Amino acid sequence: MKKLGFSKAAYWLTISFLFFPLVVLAFYSFNASPGFTFTGFSTRWYEALFSASRESKSLWNSVANSVIIALSSASIATIIGTLGAVAIHWYKFPWKRYVQALSFVPVVLPEIIIGVSVLIFFASIIRLELGMFSILIAHISFTLPFVMLMVGARLSEFDDSVLEAARDLGAKEHQVLLRVILPIASPGIFSGFLMAVTLSLEDFVVTQFVRGPNSETLPLYIYKMVKKTIPMEISALSVLLVIATVVLVFSVRNLMKYFVKGT
Amino acid sequence: MGKLIGSEIRIEGVSKSFADTQVLKDVSLTIKKGEFFSLLGPSGCGKTTLLRILAGFEQPEQGIVTLDGNDILPLAANERPVNTVFQNYALFPHLSVFENIAFPLRLKKVAAKEIKKRVFDYLDLVQLRGQENKKPHQMSGGQRQRVSIARALISEPKVLLLDEPLSALDAKLRHQLLMDLDLIHDQVGITFVYVTHDQSEALSVSDRVAVMSQGKVLQIGSPIEIYESPADSFVASFIGETNFMEGKVNAVDGRMITIESDKLGPIKVTVDSGHRQGPFVVGDKVRHTIRPEKIRIQTTKPNESADNVINGIVFEVIYSGFQSRIYVDLDNGFRFKIFKQHVQYLEVGHEIKWNEKVYLWWNPDDGYVVEKLV
Amino acid sequence: MKKQAGVWYSLPLFAWVTLFFLIPIGMVLLYSVLSRGNFGGVKAELSLDGFAALGNPAFLKTVGITLLIALVSTVLTILVALPASYYIARTKNNLTLLVLVIIPFWVNFLIRVFAWMAVLGREGFVNDLLRWTGLTQEPIQFLFNIGAVIIVHVYTYLPFAILPLYATIEKFDFGLLEAARDLGADHLTSLKKILLPNIRGGIITAILFTFIPILGSYAISDLVGGKDGYMLGNSIAYYIGKANNWPRASAIAVVLTLITSLGLMVYFLLNRSQQKTLVEEEVK
Repeated sequence: MKKLGFSKAAYWLTISFLFFPLVVLAFYSFNASPGFTFTGFSTRWYEALFSASRESKSLWNSVANSVIIALSSASIATIIGTLGAVAIHWYKFPWKRYVQALSFVPVVLPEIIIGVSVLIFFASIIRLELGMFSILIAHISFTLPFVMLMVGARLSEFDDSVLEAARDLGAKEHQVLLRVILPIASPGIFSGFLMAVTLSLEDFVVTQFVRGPNSETLPLYIYKMVKKTIPMEISALSVLLVIATVVLVFSVRNLMKYFVKGT
Repeated sequence: MGKLIGSEIRIEGVSKSFADTQVLKDVSLTIKKGEFFSLLGPSGCGKTTLLRILAGFEQPEQGIVTLDGNDILPLAANERPVNTVFQNYALFPHLSVFENIAFPLRLKKVAAKEIKKRVFDYLDLVQLRGQENKKPHQMSGGQRQRVSIARALISEPKVLLLDEPLSALDAKLRHQLLMDLDLIHDQVGITFVYVTHDQSEALSVSDRVAVMSQGKVLQIGSPIEIYESPADSFVASFIGETNFMEGKVNAVDGRMITIESDKLGPIKVTVDSGHRQGPFVVGDKVRHTIRPEKIRIQTTKPNESADNVINGIVFEVIYSGFQSRIYVDLDNGFRFKIFKQHVQYLEVGHEIKWNEKVYLWWNPDDGYVVEKLV
Repeated sequence: MKKQAGVWYSLPLFAWVTLFFLIPIGMVLLYSVLSRGNFGGVKAELSLDGFAALGNPAFLKTVGITLLIALVSTVLTILVALPASYYIARTKNNLTLLVLVIIPFWVNFLIRVFAWMAVLGREGFVNDLLRWTGLTQEPIQFLFNIGAVIIVHVYTYLPFAILPLYATIEKFDFGLLEAARDLGADHLTSLKKILLPNIRGGIITAILFTFIPILGSYAISDLVGGKDGYMLGNSIAYYIGKANNWPRASAIAVVLTLITSLGLMVYFLLNRSQQKTLVEEEVK
């Protein structure tokens, strides 16, 4: 007989703790008046989100920026990271140790240091104006190690005899890459890409530092609103985002199931 | 699919080291066109390294390797007309059986129609027709190995290298696949170089065998030569089982020499004129052997005409139906192995038992002098 | 061909890592020993001015508060995570249990912090409730102090602690606990003496994933910390932005990096000693 009473209670208390603020937020998203004193039920904040007001325009603009940056930085990070992970895993080259060590620096350094270092780099050496480009660079930088981790994990499941076989049968090196390595690594590449997109969409601290005066991503927009007022539209937006995420995750899950079945 | 021509391989003076260990020491041998040639030896003897040098995955520090007279060492693995069948099959997990086999042809951009025809030809050769749409993970070990063989042969290489291809399979399957390999070799006709540590595999299908140990080639010969005329004590004990004796030659009479051995008394052995360590003269110290299956064993005293008679006491009998392995302790402290085949009906109570006094004897033609001792 | 392929594949990574990791971090180091430019930025003059301010009491207070928040948050997080991950590890069909832990994470980080402001604010849920039940008349100040910072940190890092703890506990052989019970130990003692030492590795990992990031925390203390919950991260931001003193900001960043690296070194040493002990015990 397992005595799980205490830990069971602890678990469900923890879950309640985790969900509690979100439920409160959802609750207030239907508040008739601004602020957190409940006066009545209303969907005005949801309507405000989709109105043509300047506020909602700048909100959706920041969403667009977030998506553009997430997709482009993730794509580039995936290319660089995949090639790098393949090289580290199966090939020799002179700067291997150096690259291995440095690649994982963003994982252990606090985000604020990454943000500050890229900021200083742009201000001093590149002297480029901060904006979408600097955000892009910073996002690629901190998502790179995670792509490499995901691809590397997938590559470790195979030993290099598959590569030797390909070469033995006549494949030139680029054919080995395109016909053997990349197809085998594809699940890892895909999860690396997804992870990079997620991290980029979520990021606040690094983006905050390298943004420059004009660029705004969704987290930056939320931060700005939270500092200024009590943005009730944000509560409505968060409820919608949660629903969208749940729907997305479940459809991706079912898509994956379909793909695996078909193989 | 007609018969192809294989290449002659010459290996001269090849040496290779990894870190501080020398894995191949000045190895030289010639493999004939179309031969089924085995590299046999215990693990660590260098056989796999030699194979990988042939394939192009390793470079030797010294030595020359030629294919039909052409130096292949400067060629990369993908440029050599040499293909490998790997121990763990190394099939491409993301491709179907058809695509795995078609892989070498797709690299060369062969036309789709031609690919289809050739792939099905080779599927028939390895008896896998009907399985071509499956993926490797859906197949058994034996089937995967067949795919691997078809894939290696389809681009018509001049040499096929096989790196312990059967060691990952279970015993029954091993024998079946070995026989199939023999048939495939007969049909295809190219040179096969086969690496194994299992001597029964090597002896059963090879045209010639090279026995290796610690980076050196100890002997090259047909299976019978290796078995009956081993070049040294290592080969004699590695191949099959045997009983060793040492002694001084004290009489030579034509082909028959008499050796005063190990307090066993005079042992007579016939020696061929072409013996690699001969001729033997009185005074030579030699090591000689007698294989267990060639010793006669009986509980009654043998005839006057019998040679090489020794007495002993039975230490252990291991009965396995068609034969018994009998261990006999001799007067001089040695323990001899004898294999006795039960070629006649064995009545209960008539078998040789533990602790019985027995007589061993054998024909001088059946013994063999392995080497001179210094 | 094969020899060069590795060079080509690794080249983009090599270039990126050098250009955007090595050089920027080098710049931070450099800036920390330069002197402040007249209009912000730096002058090409060496100076230890940036580090000089590190001696003053206000800065030391910030370091202290940062360490305190990191420590308390980590301890609380681990204490809460332990029984929860224990429960998950000992339940058969625990996929749903795990997913439940992760779902709140799908909500944007800032929105989660904002949610806490909705809960703890002067006009927030808790105060609303207290007034509605008549327990208080005036709103209580829950936000903008160290307590709020700690609560939100624990909230944010719980999943980071639960997952590695779950992974380690899951590998533990619970038959050992039964053996201990059989020998006379009660449930609590067997947990303490048998389970805990064997999941030390997981606990150390959970601490790593909690303590080290909290050291460098910025956003949470910025939103709910106010004046009292002021951490090193906020200090760096202040000197980059409002005070426009980049050398000083860089110097503080260097200090933060040193503290973080120390923490990492401690983690590696602990891990290695843990592995050594396991090997020694096996050898015995």
